[in-house]
Amino acid sequence: MFRTVGVVGAGTMGRSIAEMLAVKGRDVLLVEKNGKALDTSLELLEASLDRQMERWAITLAEKKLILNRIHKAASLQALADCDLVIEAASESLDIKKKIFESLDRYLPQSAVLASNTSTLSLTELAGVTRHPERVIGMHFVYPAYRIDVVEIIRGLKTSDQTFEQTKQFIEQVLDKKSIMVYESPGYVTTRLICLMINEALLLLSEGVASAEDIDLAMRVGYQFEHGPLEMADRFGLDAVLAALERMFREYGELKYRPSILLKKKVRAGQLGVKTGSGFFRYNKDGERLS
Amino acid sequence: MNILVINSGSSSLKYQLFDMNDESVLASGRVERIGMDSSILSHEAAGKPEVREVSEILDHTSAVKKMLDMLIHREFGVLHSIAEIDAVGHRIVHGGEAFSESVLVTPGVKEEIRKLFDLAPLHNPAHMNGIIAVEVNLPDVPQTAVFDTAFHQTMPPYAYMYAIPTVLYRKHKIRRYGFHGTSVDFVSHGAAELLGRPLQELKLIVCHIGNGASCTAVMYGKSVDTSMGMTPLEGLMMGTRSGDLDPAVVPYTINKEDLTLNEVNSMLNKHSGLLAISGISSDVREILQAIEEGNEQARLAFDMYTYRIRKYIGAYAAAMNGVDAVVFTAGVGENSAVLRQKVCEGLTYLGLLLDDKRNSIRSGEPRVITSDESKVAALVVPTNEELLIARDTYRIVCREKQKISSVDEGGTAIGD
Repeated sequence: MFRTVGVVGAGTMGRSIAEMLAVKGRDVLLVEKNGKALDTSLELLEASLDRQMERWAITLAEKKLILNRIHKAASLQALADCDLVIEAASESLDIKKKIFESLDRYLPQSAVLASNTSTLSLTELAGVTRHPERVIGMHFVYPAYRIDVVEIIRGLKTSDQTFEQTKQFIEQVLDKKSIMVYESPGYVTTRLICLMINEALLLLSEGVASAEDIDLAMRVGYQFEHGPLEMADRFGLDAVLAALERMFREYGELKYRPSILLKKKVRAGQLGVKTGSGFFRYNKDGERLS
Repeated sequence: MNILVINSGSSSLKYQLFDMNDESVLASGRVERIGMDSSILSHEAAGKPEVREVSEILDHTSAVKKMLDMLIHREFGVLHSIAEIDAVGHRIVHGGEAFSESVLVTPGVKEEIRKLFDLAPLHNPAHMNGIIAVEVNLPDVPQTAVFDTAFHQTMPPYAYMYAIPTVLYRKHKIRRYGFHGTSVDFVSHGAAELLGRPLQELKLIVCHIGNGASCTAVMYGKSVDTSMGMTPLEGLMMGTRSGDLDPAVVPYTINKEDLTLNEVNSMLNKHSGLLAISGISSDVREILQAIEEGNEQARLAFDMYTYRIRKYIGAYAAAMNGVDAVVFTAGVGENSAVLRQKVCEGLTYLGLLLDDKRNSIRSGEPRVITSDESKVAALVVPTNEELLIARDTYRIVCREKQKISSVDEGGTAIGD
């Protein structure tokens, strides 16, 4: 079932998905249009495996096996033999449309084309392909190797067969829980978590509580692994902002309006873990310093 | 009668074909990397060159097909047709409380093995794949299941219960099961034979020291206690497994290091034992090499490893109120004279006197390694789990045939 999987985009999410797929024993072709970015991404991926090794999650032999399953690919054309392609490029409709148009051309009709989009319209993406019935959404939660839930998004034309295949793959091969959602900006996970993050930002900017205390309250009080502000740092503040703006535009409701503080942070280039600082500070391994 | 013995793992399949007329091995081999496009089949038949073949083998059904093709191969094979295989015996790691002996595979047995997936998530599903793959390829051939846990089902409740709320036993069957049962059973018989005394009057302590390691108290032919528990993690220190530790260490570590369940499981099973203490290897041979070179961590690892074996021997001598023989088996137990010496040098209080010369002899035969004056004997008895599986399978299949012919002459015959 989906033995060779293509992953388009080697950013935070694409890398995390590629790593998870390789851990689960699949061969992965990782595509990134910028060759240098691809190399950097693979270095980061290896660093992530090293961290897992330090935490005793995998052995050295397992690390080597996992790395051997991940192959660099220079173009979308190289994915022609994949059984499944998961697109995890930037959250821009135009970029994604172009990718799906190409994938549709290069891959046989039996292959499933999935997008990891969290807010864009899947039906619109599928619209650029000749076979929209094989287009589906697979929305992973970061980090994909640790978080065991996936939202499966059905576009208007996604076939039952595509859905069943995807669901089986997620549950049996990836060993994750799946929830089925219909197309709607943010689905369940992004919509709920971004609203909470945004509300936490408002609390912070109103001076109601400190960043540490807001996070502490949610971590201890409601058993979150990280508080909402650290979560935002880990997702990337730019990604959170993009998701909120998208939902604000789609729903037109004020509750989705991104807090000014978030915009300010993004403009200042403090994007969270990936830049070393956001609401808290981090080392290059993503461990929190303060 | 030809019997095929299969040990099916998640991505590998090992096999041996026995001719039960003289218990000789006609052929043996393994398929590795099942599920990949470069799977490897290695096969060796008596008196023929070894072959290796790389091809795409995506599942166990194709792996079994490949294996059968090889067994009837005109150059490397040993059979004219697959109809010459009379029965197939499977090694199954976990038989839970449902199986106290080897059984014929029936729909009911398969259902029970499935129920045990939770207790042996890495092994039982893979074994089931093996059973189904044989069913597809050899639909009329009887199959048997031989369990690693079955031999230990004779343990009394005071040995197998854990002192935790009994609701956990009732709800989840959390208790000691023990493993290596097939090996311990085989080796006990070998020990009795070597000593020239009936098994029914012997108190034995069997030390199966291989990649995994366990001690078993075998009293009058029955297992009365064993060091592995609900999983193979408990008991002796092993190559990469911790063995016994204070259970409070686990939640404490999870909390201090912020570990997930998977991480802590992997730490205890794959990153502990000899490997963790020595920092160099999980292999006893490499540890011994390092000790000779003066590596102190390796020495500590080996001291801990042998000390714990000795502790268990002491405990089981007490459990049985005496011991007639300590039996070493499996890779390390059979081959490392240094290990046996180190374990036995603290057992003189039992009256066990090792004979250094006998201990240092390398041989594939069962042998006594204590002096003639020794009150308690120490033995080396090579294990052969595959042969025991073949024997059990042979016995079950013959019994079934008799049943059928005596009950109903015209009834459904089991493939011959």
